[in-house]
Amino acid sequence: MAGFLERITERLNIYREPGWYKKFDHKWTMVIDLDKCNGCGACVLACYAENNIPVVGKEDCDKSRAFSWLRIERYVEGEYPDVKVKFIPVMCQHCGKAPCETGCPVYATYHNQDGLNVQVYNRCVGTFTCATYCPYDVRRFNWRTYKFEQPLDNQLNPDVTVREMGVMEKCTFCIQRIRVAKDKAKDEGREVQDGEIQPACVQSCPTGAMTFGDLQDPSSKVAKLAKSPRRYRLLEELNTDPSVIYLKRVMNDGAGTHEE
Amino acid sequence: MKRRDFLKILGVGGVGTGLGYFFGKASKPPAAELIPYLNPPVDVIPGVANWYPSLCTQCSAGCGIHVRVMEGRAKKIEGNPLHPINKGKLCARGQASLQALYNPDRIKKPLKRRGNRGKGDFEEITWEEGISILSKNLISLSEKGEADQLYLLTSQIRGSLNNLLNSFMVSYGSPNYLQYELFQNKNLLHASQVTMGVNAIPHYDIANTKYLLSFGADFSSTWVSPVSYSYAYGQMRQGEDGIRGKLVQIEPRLSLTGANADEWVPAKPGTEGVLALAIAYAIVEDGYYKGPDAASWKALLSGYSPKDAAVVTEVAEGRIREIAKEFGQTRPSLAIGGENLARYENGMSGLVAVNILNHLAGNIGVRGGVIPNSNGSRTIDFKNNIAALAEAASASKVKTLLVYDTNPVFTTPKAMKTEESLRNIPFIASFSSFMDETTAMADLILPAHTSLEDWGDDFADPSVGYPVATLMQPAVSPFFNTMGIGDIILSLAKGVGGKVKDKMQWNGFSDYLKDAWKENYSKDKDMLASALTFDEFWNQLLTRGGWWPDEKAKVKAVSVSPKGIEAHISKVSSRFEGDEKGFPLYLTTYAHSSHLDGRGANLPWLQEMPDPMTSVVWGNWIEVNPTTASSLGIKEGETVTVESPFGKINAHVYLYPGIRPDTVSMPIGQGHRAYGRYAKDTGSNPIEILPFKEDPETREIALNSTRVRISRTTASEKMVKIEGSTKELGRNIVQTISPEEFKRMNKEVS
Amino acid sequence: MGQEHMKSEISYREVNEDVVRTMTKTGPAYYIALISSMLVFAGFWLLPWSYQIYQGQGVTGLQTPAFWGIYLANFVFWIGISHSGTLLSAILFITQTPWRRSIYRSAEAMTFFSVLTAAIFVFVHMGRPWNFYWTMPYPNQRQLWLNFQSPLMFDVLAISAYMTSSVIFLYIGSIPDLAAVRDRVTGWRKEVYTVLALGWRGTDTEWHWLNKAYTFFAVFIIPLAVSVHSIVSWDFALSKVPGLNKTIFAPYFVVGAIYSGTAGIVTLMIILRKALNIEKYITLNHFSQLGKLLVVMSLLWSYINVLEVFTGWYANTSFENEALTYRMFTPPYSYMFWIMILCNSFMPLLLIFKKARTSIFVALIVSLAINVGMWLERYLIIATSLPRKFLPYMWHDYSPSWIEISTTIGSFGFFTMLFLLFVKLWPSVSIYEVKEDIGIPMKKGHH
Repeated sequence: MAGFLERITERLNIYREPGWYKKFDHKWTMVIDLDKCNGCGACVLACYAENNIPVVGKEDCDKSRAFSWLRIERYVEGEYPDVKVKFIPVMCQHCGKAPCETGCPVYATYHNQDGLNVQVYNRCVGTFTCATYCPYDVRRFNWRTYKFEQPLDNQLNPDVTVREMGVMEKCTFCIQRIRVAKDKAKDEGREVQDGEIQPACVQSCPTGAMTFGDLQDPSSKVAKLAKSPRRYRLLEELNTDPSVIYLKRVMNDGAGTHEE
Repeated sequence: MKRRDFLKILGVGGVGTGLGYFFGKASKPPAAELIPYLNPPVDVIPGVANWYPSLCTQCSAGCGIHVRVMEGRAKKIEGNPLHPINKGKLCARGQASLQALYNPDRIKKPLKRRGNRGKGDFEEITWEEGISILSKNLISLSEKGEADQLYLLTSQIRGSLNNLLNSFMVSYGSPNYLQYELFQNKNLLHASQVTMGVNAIPHYDIANTKYLLSFGADFSSTWVSPVSYSYAYGQMRQGEDGIRGKLVQIEPRLSLTGANADEWVPAKPGTEGVLALAIAYAIVEDGYYKGPDAASWKALLSGYSPKDAAVVTEVAEGRIREIAKEFGQTRPSLAIGGENLARYENGMSGLVAVNILNHLAGNIGVRGGVIPNSNGSRTIDFKNNIAALAEAASASKVKTLLVYDTNPVFTTPKAMKTEESLRNIPFIASFSSFMDETTAMADLILPAHTSLEDWGDDFADPSVGYPVATLMQPAVSPFFNTMGIGDIILSLAKGVGGKVKDKMQWNGFSDYLKDAWKENYSKDKDMLASALTFDEFWNQLLTRGGWWPDEKAKVKAVSVSPKGIEAHISKVSSRFEGDEKGFPLYLTTYAHSSHLDGRGANLPWLQEMPDPMTSVVWGNWIEVNPTTASSLGIKEGETVTVESPFGKINAHVYLYPGIRPDTVSMPIGQGHRAYGRYAKDTGSNPIEILPFKEDPETREIALNSTRVRISRTTASEKMVKIEGSTKELGRNIVQTISPEEFKRMNKEVS
Repeated sequence: MGQEHMKSEISYREVNEDVVRTMTKTGPAYYIALISSMLVFAGFWLLPWSYQIYQGQGVTGLQTPAFWGIYLANFVFWIGISHSGTLLSAILFITQTPWRRSIYRSAEAMTFFSVLTAAIFVFVHMGRPWNFYWTMPYPNQRQLWLNFQSPLMFDVLAISAYMTSSVIFLYIGSIPDLAAVRDRVTGWRKEVYTVLALGWRGTDTEWHWLNKAYTFFAVFIIPLAVSVHSIVSWDFALSKVPGLNKTIFAPYFVVGAIYSGTAGIVTLMIILRKALNIEKYITLNHFSQLGKLLVVMSLLWSYINVLEVFTGWYANTSFENEALTYRMFTPPYSYMFWIMILCNSFMPLLLIFKKARTSIFVALIVSLAINVGMWLERYLIIATSLPRKFLPYMWHDYSPSWIEISTTIGSFGFFTMLFLLFVKLWPSVSIYEVKEDIGIPMKKGHH
């Protein structure tokens, strides 16, 4: 009995032990340089196009049911003429200690061995626990069956499912592109190169604020950027261990430096 | 069993079986009859994508794209990594242009007007019919000797299509080929002409500059070539050399670029030109100008001392001098003049002032400054513009109008009476893919392909210091029963016959394009060097997506002479219509970052994308300073009537701290009355209430030219915002470090 | 009606007859009540729910970030009411409190029915309820097991355990009464109760084992009840959401449950004694004692509430402050909050006075007020925490749609319907325990 319990607890928490990811080849990480990000929103549109995200219309947007997996948050401080505007793109942080993963009763969301927080659409029964637990509010729900007005459905990406009503979804770091690249590398008998995988948002970002890659590859761009003294993570004090690293914006916002 | 019963059973059974068979056949979905993709067409591997390089036409920047096509359907558009303008990146509008191809409101086949004009009653006809109707009209016009009363109105088309249309009109005998778009950059072009002698928009080397002084240029979202400039902005901020460039934005309304700037200078609307000259004066006076003719420059700028300018622009004198010092001393620096500056009634003079600034700081022809582009031989006939067309139409001097890819009914002020003048034209034919406001007034619609289905090319303007040509090729076969615009014109030429037919002998536009490029190839030594035969070269073009030299030409310094400049700078700040008492607020309008001049409004992705500065979706708004709003007793989300001396519209109020209290601002792009289900009736169009004012030299329509008053009215619909609260509440969400700390950090690391 | 204690003038035969009469004699009022509650259940719950299953959760008022709303509030509320039975039956049994005897049967039934109602709310709030069985551990081809770390998982197990135990508890305790009814009815009823009574003959051995079983269950069900509501509270407390992420939640919810359960019993008993004419079994003394219990619970509840607000204020993080301000000072939630405080903290203090405690009218008003206040408390916890999460950009207010409100009303209809059926099909007053309370007849009376 003790052995059985041990096996279960080991399985449940195995990915939280330090060094776990070293056993595998990848730990996907995204670095977003807030000093370069200008808030244009190209990443948001690219995500819509790549991941078959439905357009919900004005009424549902009013009810705060807009679907964008990736959103640009904008914070405005100050009064005229000392107005400070700050932008930050927020998507699923693929937390190492994700609150959503422990919450889901049916294991529809779990941590895969590449460090991604994976959502299994066909397992989801829609208890909303993951969405409530997420501190970053990145999960989106299919409130009804969304129609892709014909012939717009010709544009749907065949590599990504179209989700059913009642299912939770969120940013996947374009896992379809990761799979394709990993398969290709395997077929060609080599490692995945740095820069070979670019999620739609990273690929489209005009300023080059977003970088994606394998944190465990010391020569990758993200590994170098992740060592920047400007690095921080969103809501780090909650100890969710996110895989998205932000680089602080250089700005005189009068509040002094925000030390870690 | 009795025989009768047996026969009955046989009969019923037979009939039943037969019926069942037919029902079964009929109820089977048509797909059950298709040959499965086990045997795909030759160029399709199911599950594997084909990538086609092409050209994005959502704005005039001319970025190169890669279109991902799977099983004959376009799935995604990415930037072309090899293309020098966008370097593999793409903006939101480019991504959304996919939805223009598969849009449910596309015109699927040629239409002929049935009811009254403007009622929207059309009947479907075949292409032969359509071409023959139009040809007959053109033939009769020519026979009556009124060939010069044919007008062709298009958007700003460059490249081979431009040449084709030109040849067509010339061989037909009409000089009336106009190009009109709301954001045509005529002022910018002419300012370059006047100051630098180059008839092309220069390349602003934002990537390498260390001090960017932007006069209302919203280059992060809509100004001239947003992807290219955004990429450069990223390099400027956190480039390889670790020295961070500074951005100072001068504009009465904080734009997206202004939100990212280090400093915002809220000059009074219409006075930015004066401010530019005051900065120029301070540069010369305080000795930062190291070039020739310092004395004549001083004399020229004597009327714009910072002290006087401070009163006019409401920017403190000390600040003007500080900006001048930083701008003059930082090497390299760069000043750019954006739409906000260009669209006053004397917008061109403001841009000339910006060029003067660049010259005085020694930025022209320098890395990190203004790099002139060499596409020199373009000329624009400023007199031949949309207002001239409207005038001629009102005077019944326009017998036939052909419209392609432009929507003047939406993008001109009501004061110009475009719609009325169009009604005067006996025959209007449109080649548009969508039923926009102008096309709704057409008598004949011959829908052209969207840019993903068509051939074409483009010579980027502005280019990046060396010529860049992009090729557009069909990524998918035509989805509806449409024809490429070039093919339509060539069929028309055949239909018209005579001289026109002789001059335009090509079978299709792809042949015309190939011939044009054969000529280019034979004349250019770099092109000849790159491939042995033309076919090889052509394949290279198609694979690469265009042509750009590997060797970049050396940057040559160009100087601006003070002689003759005076005429181009107006002495007073630009005028706004409407008296101050009755209309207390300045109205500035700007291009919506998703819809630009209104063309993106029929794409649902763009409607659903929250505006970067207000997060409003599916609608329009007016930005009002919170103090102004509270003094008028207006709360956020309430509907107000915005009234100018030329009209009134309704809009929802968005409380916007980043705008002067004496100014209000509205984005352009919503307020369509036609143009499809996604665009219809979302918001209002501020262009309607603008006066009909043009820049005196370039005759570009002024967009920031009137005052307005706002008053509360009953709400019609709700304003839908995505944002909850925009206060950070000390939660350290977007963390920052100060520039000094950053410098220190860099020193430590390096 | 105005009796303080059940006088020993009531004979055993009266007890038997009264209870059997409640089950066999039905007037038109009963049928009207039953049919209307069935209609409320069908019209306000079943029909809108089918509409929701067809259309999707979009017909509710739920949105990003308020993914939980009235449905979960109702769920917690009904689980809370379910603690009534446990308290009365089990806890008061172990403390051998005499006045529990005539009311505990109905209280146990209340427990069972409210747990049922709560369980249905679980299905109502799911996005794909037709796949509900995936939340249960059953062997399958894919070797898929549940996430045992999830508090919702604990919920499923705890609630099913609690439901099963309380049903068995109710049944075991009723066996002698079912036998008593069996011996006094005829027709189809006799057949049904013969089966249900499991052949009870009333021998000493049977009584002995009954007592043992009952004691076992009583002892067993108390920690079960405490754990059920703690687990339900951990649905919220195990999140990181400010306003929900508090360690006080488990005791808070358990106290609140006992509190609202007791108030529910008071309300129900007032109605029951009038409707079934059993005033002499449910006397003013009962209300007096229940009233004392309510005062104690009210003070406990107020204390915990003060703790909650105080720790939130003391922490002084932006997250807590915003959630608290939103709850306490922003209309419409501020109105709800202060009404809740009035109903739960101040009105029950009236019951300190004996005069108030022994007045049926006051008891009714106060108990209804308490239940309103407790429902508001559940609603406020959910509806004011989720719209004010960590990233202010995503703040959006929540307001329930007509379906959610209708379902809430329908749940009361469902509960009433079940309880009405119970009253007629099951002895709602425990015959043998009442007899114990009355004591051995001293006089030779009406046989």
